[in-house]
This record gives sequence, structure tokens and C-alpha cells, in this order.
Amino acid sequence: MKRFFTHLYELASFSFRFVKEALVPPYEFGELVSHLEDFGSRSLPLVSAIGLLMGLILALQTKPTLARFGAESFLPAMVAISVVRELGPVITALIVAGRVSSGIGAEIASMRVTEQIDALEVSTVDPYHFLVVPRVIAAVIVLPLLTAYADFLAIIGAFIVMFVTGDMGWQLFITSTLNSLSISDIVPGIAKTFFFGYIIAIVGSYFGFRTEGGTEGVGKAATSSVVFASFIILIADLVLVRVGIILFG
Amino acid sequence: MIKISGLSKSFGNLAVLNGLELFVKKGEAFSILGKSGTGKSVTLKCIAGLLIPDAGEIIVDSITVDAANIRDLRTIRRKIGFLFQGGALYDSMTIIENLIFNLSHHLKIPRAMAADKSENYLTLVGLKESMNKLPSELSGGMKKRAALARALVIEPQILLCDEPTTGLDPITSGEISELIRRLHDQFQVTAIVVTHDILCAGIVSDRAGVLEDGILKYTGSINELAGIDDEKVAGFFKSPL
Repeated sequence: MKRFFTHLYELASFSFRFVKEALVPPYEFGELVSHLEDFGSRSLPLVSAIGLLMGLILALQTKPTLARFGAESFLPAMVAISVVRELGPVITALIVAGRVSSGIGAEIASMRVTEQIDALEVSTVDPYHFLVVPRVIAAVIVLPLLTAYADFLAIIGAFIVMFVTGDMGWQLFITSTLNSLSISDIVPGIAKTFFFGYIIAIVGSYFGFRTEGGTEGVGKAATSSVVFASFIILIADLVLVRVGIILFG
Repeated sequence: MIKISGLSKSFGNLAVLNGLELFVKKGEAFSILGKSGTGKSVTLKCIAGLLIPDAGEIIVDSITVDAANIRDLRTIRRKIGFLFQGGALYDSMTIIENLIFNLSHHLKIPRAMAADKSENYLTLVGLKESMNKLPSELSGGMKKRAALARALVIEPQILLCDEPTTGLDPITSGEISELIRRLHDQFQVTAIVVTHDILCAGIVSDRAGVLEDGILKYTGSINELAGIDDEKVAGFFKSPL
């Protein structure tokens, strides 16, 4: 337990440093573009599958319950609101944390144990500035886009269920979905993904940087990154849901 | 010029360096001999400001490293080429990109000029043909050569080499040692080489010292060290045979 709180304290000071470092040149645009591609386009297949499955499962699971109350026509609205406000952002963040946070943790940890980070320092390059800042910015940019994409696919998944069972035509489905969603659903859902993106990259970088030992340390860094990032995403979600309700109702 | 006085460094309860004294004059090549875990690499990392000593003073060309602010530390590091034990080549970059990256950050020179210079240094260490390969595609000896080229491409005044021949076969070890000596003579750098390989120390250095119990117990030329009546020192000279 003590170790957990030590991690939290150290992680907090590690993450606050980002605010200062992000504003200071040189700006590593080349690194940023490379991480945007890595975190974004290489996460697309996984996010596509998860988004579609999320919509299919949610629709299949809730359809019989709604049918019991004669409220099947509410299914598009129910799926759209659940996905856009909560499930889309959180599930996408957890999936991306599994891929990206562990990847960042393992990559930086590997650089630590092979003295590449020391080599950067000797080359007068600030390792935090070079390794952490572009990764965090890339994750903050990419996660909202991936979430919007996953939300869209989840709604498509729900439509497939309704279409296959012959319960609703596409025009009615689209109308019901669009009518049910408002700015107060979309903005809080997307806004919290900026925080989730930040958490994913900063936690991976933190565990990578503090790695000790050889390959065992690299493995531990990757595992700890996913576990911690997932946990902090859920805690942050709890807070952000409350903030969203206060601000948007 | 590198002057170290009373350098101490511990990790937890383990005292690695315990009042180490060392003076290396400009243009000299000095080897630190010692068994594994005696603090050879720690000494080098303290000189480069990568580790903060618990006590003592390190002066590199009139700047005190252990008390230096970030700007002074950068000034010192611009003078240092560091050959790491495992090479520490950036594995996401090709060999020539490793050199260009080092040059462009150290000296802030244009990329085209950095590329030309990098190619010249890779030719010097016999790696021109492999310059577009990734580090993972190179053998251990080639990685050491590439890392040496990366350390030297910035034209450092000081070269720090951490176990340059570890993990290499005797023939490649000899080649790397000869290469370091040749480049040292050619560029007149001040060099500190830490090694447990007496053959490497003999080829590379003008003087050497034996690190034991956290201090340099004996210093002198390799021939002088060979004549010391101490079982641990004699062990270095027996091992290659």
C-alpha cells in the first residue's frame, strides 16, 4: 500500500513537469508525427473491432429487456447516449492503455536499461523533453479521435442488430439516434478523453523512466503501466462524470 | 584536464567509491582497471554528470561537475564523447542517423553537413557499408565501432570509454583497442578507459590505475603495474594467458 502511494506521489510530480517542458523549445515535431502514427493508425484495427463489438453486444443485451416493456424504439437512443457519454470513452481508453501505455513503458524502460537515456543526456538532450513530451501530446490528440471513431462504429453495431432483426429501418434509426444526442452528451464524453490520453502516456513514461535492472525491469514497467493507467483512468472517470453532470447536467 | 578529489558514491548501504583521487592531464590516455562491481562505470558516470557523487569534487576543464548548473553541465557534455558499455545506440535509428542526431544536438549544425561528417567518421571506423543498417542488424564488434564513431563525431576534447572490449572475441577486442588508440593519437583527446581487459589497457593507455575498495590503489604505466607485488593486481596480468 505504501508503495502504491509512493508511486502516486512520484507520478504526480513527474506529470506536473510536463506542463513546464511542453512549452519550452525545441519542439520535436518529427517525434510527434511518428507517435501520432504509432498510437493512432496502428490502434485503428483494434479500436474498430472493439467499437463494433461494443455496439453489437450492447444492442443484443438490451433489446430483450426493452422489448419486455414495449420500448424497443428507444434502443438507438439508449445505445447512442450510453456509448457517447460513458462506454465509448472508457472502453477505448482502456483498450488504448493496454496497447499504448505498455508500449511506451516497455520502450522507455528498454532505453533506460541499455543506457540509451544516459546517451541522450550526454548528447545534451533532455530525455524527458525528447521522450515524454511528444508521446503525451500525441496521445492527447489521438485518443479523442479514436473515441469518436469507436462511438460511431458502436452505433453502427447497434444498427446492424436492429436491421438484421427487422425491427427498424435505417432512416428511423438515424433520426432516433440524432434526436437523442445533444451537446451535453457529446462534449463531456469527448472532453474526458483528453485527460485519459494524458494519463495513458504519462503513466507509461513514468514506469519506463524509473525502471531498474535488466529485461525483468522492462517487463515490470510494461505491466505496471497498463495496471496503473487503467486504474487511474477509472478513478479519473469517476471525478469527470461528476464534473460533467455539474457543468452539462 | 580532469581532476577528481575525494570522490565517494554509495548505493544504499553499498559504498562503491570511497574517496577516489585521480588526475588526468590534457591529451593523456588513462585506464582504470578493476574487477566487476568496483565502481569503474560509476566513476565515468560521475565525470559526465550522469550520477551525483555523495562527496568529493570533479573538475573538468575548470568547471566543477558536481556543483554545475544545467548550463555548465551542457558546456562540459559538449566536450565529452562517451562510449557506453553496450554501445547505447538508439535502436529506432540507423547507424548514420545515430551520428547525425548526436551532431545536430551537440553542435547544432545543418543536417546535410552533419550527414557528410557522419559518413566520414563511419568510414574511419570501417562501417561505411553498414551505415544505413539498424543497430540490431550489427554484430557486437560493429556496434562498438559505431558507438565509437558516434562518440567521436562531435570531435570531443574528452573521450570516456566504458568497457570497450567486453563481450568481444580477442581479435575484435584487439582491433577495437587499436582503433581507440589510433583515434586518440589522431585527435589528441583526453581519454579515460575503464576496463578489466589488461591487453586493452596496454594498447590504449599511457597510464593506468587499479580501482579497489573504492580508491585507485596503484597508478603507473602498465609495465610499472605489472611489477607490483600484489596478488589482486597480478591477477589482471595472469588472466589473458
